[in-house]
Amino acid sequence: MSRPFVFLLRLALVALVLAFLFVPEAFRPLLEPFAPVGAPAIYDRASLLDLTISHLLIVVAAIVPATLISVALAILVSRPIGAEFLPLSRAIVNIGQTFPPVAVLALAVPVVGFGTWPTLIALFLYGLLPIFENTLAGLTGLQPAVAEAAKGTGMTGRQRLFQVELPLALPVILEGVRISLVIALSTATIGSTVAAKGLGEVIIAGLNSNNLAFVLQGGLLTGALAVILYDGLGEISRMTAARS
Amino acid sequence: MIRIEGLTKEYAGNAVVRDVSMEIEAATITVIVGTSGSGKSTFLRMINRLVEPTKGVVEIDGTDTREMKAYELRRRIGYAIQDHGLFPHWTVARNIATVPKLLGWDRKKIDARVHELLELLQLDPDEIAPRYPHQLSGGQAQRVGVARALAARPDMLLMDEPFGALDPVIRAKAQTDLKSIQDRLGSTILLVTHDMAEAIRLGDRIAVMSEGRVEQLAPPAEILTHPASDNVRNLVGDDDRPFRYLSLIPVSERTEEGTAEGTPIAADRSLYDALAEMIWSGREVLPVVGEDGSARGLVRRGALLDAARSVA
Ligand SMILES: Nc1ncnc2c1ncn2[C@@H]1O[C@H](COP(=O)(O)OP(=O)(O)O)[C@@H](O)[C@H]1O
Ligand SMILES: [Mg+2]
Repeated sequence: MSRPFVFLLRLALVALVLAFLFVPEAFRPLLEPFAPVGAPAIYDRASLLDLTISHLLIVVAAIVPATLISVALAILVSRPIGAEFLPLSRAIVNIGQTFPPVAVLALAVPVVGFGTWPTLIALFLYGLLPIFENTLAGLTGLQPAVAEAAKGTGMTGRQRLFQVELPLALPVILEGVRISLVIALSTATIGSTVAAKGLGEVIIAGLNSNNLAFVLQGGLLTGALAVILYDGLGEISRMTAARS
Repeated sequence: MIRIEGLTKEYAGNAVVRDVSMEIEAATITVIVGTSGSGKSTFLRMINRLVEPTKGVVEIDGTDTREMKAYELRRRIGYAIQDHGLFPHWTVARNIATVPKLLGWDRKKIDARVHELLELLQLDPDEIAPRYPHQLSGGQAQRVGVARALAARPDMLLMDEPFGALDPVIRAKAQTDLKSIQDRLGSTILLVTHDMAEAIRLGDRIAVMSEGRVEQLAPPAEILTHPASDNVRNLVGDDDRPFRYLSLIPVSERTEEGTAEGTPIAADRSLYDALAEMIWSGREVLPVVGEDGSARGLVRRGALLDAARSVA
């Protein structure tokens, strides 16, 4: 597909999502056929805009610390002194992935109660692995000649890390963040089962009241946000990779 | 001056460099030559401590290198490698500026130095400085790698098969250029290669390595006329020895009085070049001219073959 066409497509998708969030009423005729007779076609128990913002905030609040911790851990285990901790770190980071998200929620609720926290914990745990593995791959995948040159020119370990290894690993690290964000965005919907405020609420309400229109608007919004984020971050990571 | 004594490296009890000692005069080129796996790179990398020796001492101008911090030592020694190892996320200018930046030179001084080096290596600064490594040809990238190694005016340059990735034509030019740069700057160069022809062309002295040992350390002519062992003889290639020897001697050494017809040859070219010219043009005698084009006399095929026979 040609660049201008892709650009227009992106713009159209963003415009559509914004239009739906700010003037959902305009979409009533489209959704009405999917709602049971007499039931509302647009979710009316909370503003869709508020739910979307809250959904995105939970995702960001989970992925930012997941990124910081994963990157720090990957840096540590890729240094000679940290190499011993590699298997242990892998195991810890993998735990998040082996539990199904529902199980994490179920385990977290008795400890931290209902609301936002169990969801944050689940998303955080799910976010670790892709970022950790990608950062590690980026840091250890340095071309041997470049690694040799960095040492040979007299850079200290810290200078090698910040001037050479991290900048060159950046596209791969961003790719990991991108994967984690998209996983978190969709996983966050099940957070509504433990009363986290987000788009899952719309879908669950739709399922409970047999209102397909609710399910559609919750699902499509989440999907559209995922596509926009995935695509936007992909563009950034391409820009950082252009030179290497 | 560099003094190396009893330098040894063992991996898991297996010696890959064994008890190497030598002294390297300032402003000379020493070429380490040997087959692949003979320990050349390991030897070279012990000098800037990319590899820590198991035993032995390296002294630079009387200072034991172990007394310095490894990264400080490396900033004083230029290092150029086969796959140039340019930093792909930095421009050519930033790559060349690597060591000056680490040493904290000010910006103006660095910019001027980068400009000067690009010109020294015959790269157009305005065109090449802002490029990224992936926008360079193999030959250009190799020269930028050498420029980076020279940037902080190191007293000494370590080069590990610096021309290994170049095609033969560019390679020959890179060798000539290195020689003239070394003449001009007076750098001390330690260069590793597996190519004996390259060693003979570049070296003031050649160290032949085999299985971690230096089997012979001598000027090129002596390596050719008196190989110390079968290994050295094999590396030179028995069939090629007369030709290699001719490539070492300038035409001026066998120039006689007189005049001759046809295209002349410059006095500073080698007897090898003169022989090639005789074969191509079907002549037995070539007129010889100086750098300024003035007549110097002639060179005869017979004199040239006599010179070649003296190796046998
Ligand atoms: N880090 C290392 N660990 C174990 N063996 C090594 C290591 N580095 C080099 N060697 C071995 O040492 C020998 C010499 O290697 P090297 O110095 O690279 O040779 P050359 O540069 O002459 O080809 C080879 O047999 C190589 O496998
Ligand atoms: Mg080698």
